[in-house]
Amino acid sequence: MFELVGYEARRRAKGSAALAVLVGAFAVMMVAIFPSIEASGVDFASYAESLPPAVQAAFNIQAITTVEGFLAVEFYQFVWVLLLGLYVAYAAGSTLAGEIESGRIELTLAAPIRRRRVVAEKALAQLAPVLFLSAVTPPVLYLAVLAIGESLPVERLVAAHALGVAYLAACGGIGLLLSAALSRADFAQRGAIGAVFGLFVVDSVSSGTDFSALGALSPTRYYDPTAILVEGTYDLGGALVLSAGALLLCALAAVVFARRDV
Amino acid sequence: MSPIEIDSLRKEYGDTVAVSDLSVAVEAGEIFGFLGPNGAGKTTVIRTLMGFHAPTTGETRVLGADATDESALVGVKERVGYLPAHPTFDSDVTGRAFLDHQASLKGDARREDLLELFDPPLDRKVREYSTGNAQMLGLVTAFMHDPDLVILDEPTAGLDPLKQERFNEFLRAERERGTTVFFSSHVLGEVRRVCDRVGVLRDGKLAAVEDVDDLLSRGGKRVRVRTVDGIAPADVDLPGAVDVEALADGVGFTFTGDFNDLLDALGRFDVVELDVEEPPLEDVFMHFYGEPEPTEEVESDV
Repeated sequence: MFELVGYEARRRAKGSAALAVLVGAFAVMMVAIFPSIEASGVDFASYAESLPPAVQAAFNIQAITTVEGFLAVEFYQFVWVLLLGLYVAYAAGSTLAGEIESGRIELTLAAPIRRRRVVAEKALAQLAPVLFLSAVTPPVLYLAVLAIGESLPVERLVAAHALGVAYLAACGGIGLLLSAALSRADFAQRGAIGAVFGLFVVDSVSSGTDFSALGALSPTRYYDPTAILVEGTYDLGGALVLSAGALLLCALAAVVFARRDV
Repeated sequence: MSPIEIDSLRKEYGDTVAVSDLSVAVEAGEIFGFLGPNGAGKTTVIRTLMGFHAPTTGETRVLGADATDESALVGVKERVGYLPAHPTFDSDVTGRAFLDHQASLKGDARREDLLELFDPPLDRKVREYSTGNAQMLGLVTAFMHDPDLVILDEPTAGLDPLKQERFNEFLRAERERGTTVFFSSHVLGEVRRVCDRVGVLRDGKLAAVEDVDDLLSRGGKRVRVRTVDGIAPADVDLPGAVDVEALADGVGFTFTGDFNDLLDALGRFDVVELDVEEPPLEDVFMHFYGEPEPTEEVESDV
């Protein structure tokens, strides 16, 4: 058991490390520019209030003049929710479809291994870089915040990343399902990006309208780093929905993959 | 129970019928050649045997396991080796890392022995591999867990002649050890050198299952002769010579007779050059079935 997970995770080790360095560097940069923004005296609060409600909702812009409010918008809403969500979905899109397209899947399935186990192990292997990133980013961010003489509640930082794992797992699940259904990696990858971004937009623009129920399909509905960092409220129910959604998507991917010609 | 049993197999891809009404059994310990031109449906049959594709109708059994029953098939796969038509690997790992990974899934009792015969550069990344090296890595993967049954799709494609000959010798030794081998090829010469029996696939249908000796004696050889004083088609008047044609510098014909007769007949001439070659597969088909290979191809790479 877990042979595929180990193999895939080892293959991705370098890529995961590079991604962690990039994300960490961006986090440090955002923290570093906070003092100058704060000192500039620009009235960000009124700027934020002047933005359309949908944009405010999309990036949940609150308390942008505090370090946690600033990071929530500039780092978490943008990098963690949007960019990483899209990246994880994109990466998951290539897993099975890429192997089917190239024929590599044949040498995997020629071994005594069931298809549903292949799906489960591929899903876990996708989760490995997410866990790695979620483990190394908080200490980097925390130290950077200390370095500029500010402070950040540790438990909120940890919660933002812990609940973020469930969010990214759900995004990966969308990519995995498309990857199991399609035979071309680029279709699955673009479809996954389109789906995650489309759901993000639907959730954002429908928020506060009569159609807000539509946004309930979007993973972004259940993960709000601003609420965690600024208000200290943790949406555990949302994390449960995301985890259950991720599991359901993996299960569906396994069913689809087990029934198809590869 | 035969290691491979195919019963009334039919496989459609959309409107295309890739294989139809195909039944054949491969016996334990034999090397069975699956011969046919590209696009005849060989790969489709192999993919249904391996459980990658489900038959539209009909049944395939591998070591007694129904290939559509995943649990049963996975249960026997430890005893099955497989080489795809164009083996592809994760290009970012070394050959050794790939073999380690495969070993973790199915064992590698014979890896080291095989690497003495087939020696891809294991410490290099697979993306740097030539076609021949990738093929050798695929062959090691297929045999490393000492399977009882091996299914090989065009196993010598990309191997240099020396490695091809080594592979043929290896396959004969495998037969001595009792391994059953099912392999596809579009090259008659390859099949004749190692196979006991051959199934000829044409347009997704099994045209014949024959002993290799019978197949070859009927297929004949392609002969070309050049002489000092010239030779005309009319000079080639001996039993077993057909399709005699004049070439720019001699004659060519297909010969199914006794070679001693041929040599006697040529003894009258001052021969400069004599080529005796395997006939192209198309010619064998023509002799077999009285019509040339159709040009319309059935797509098998789906």
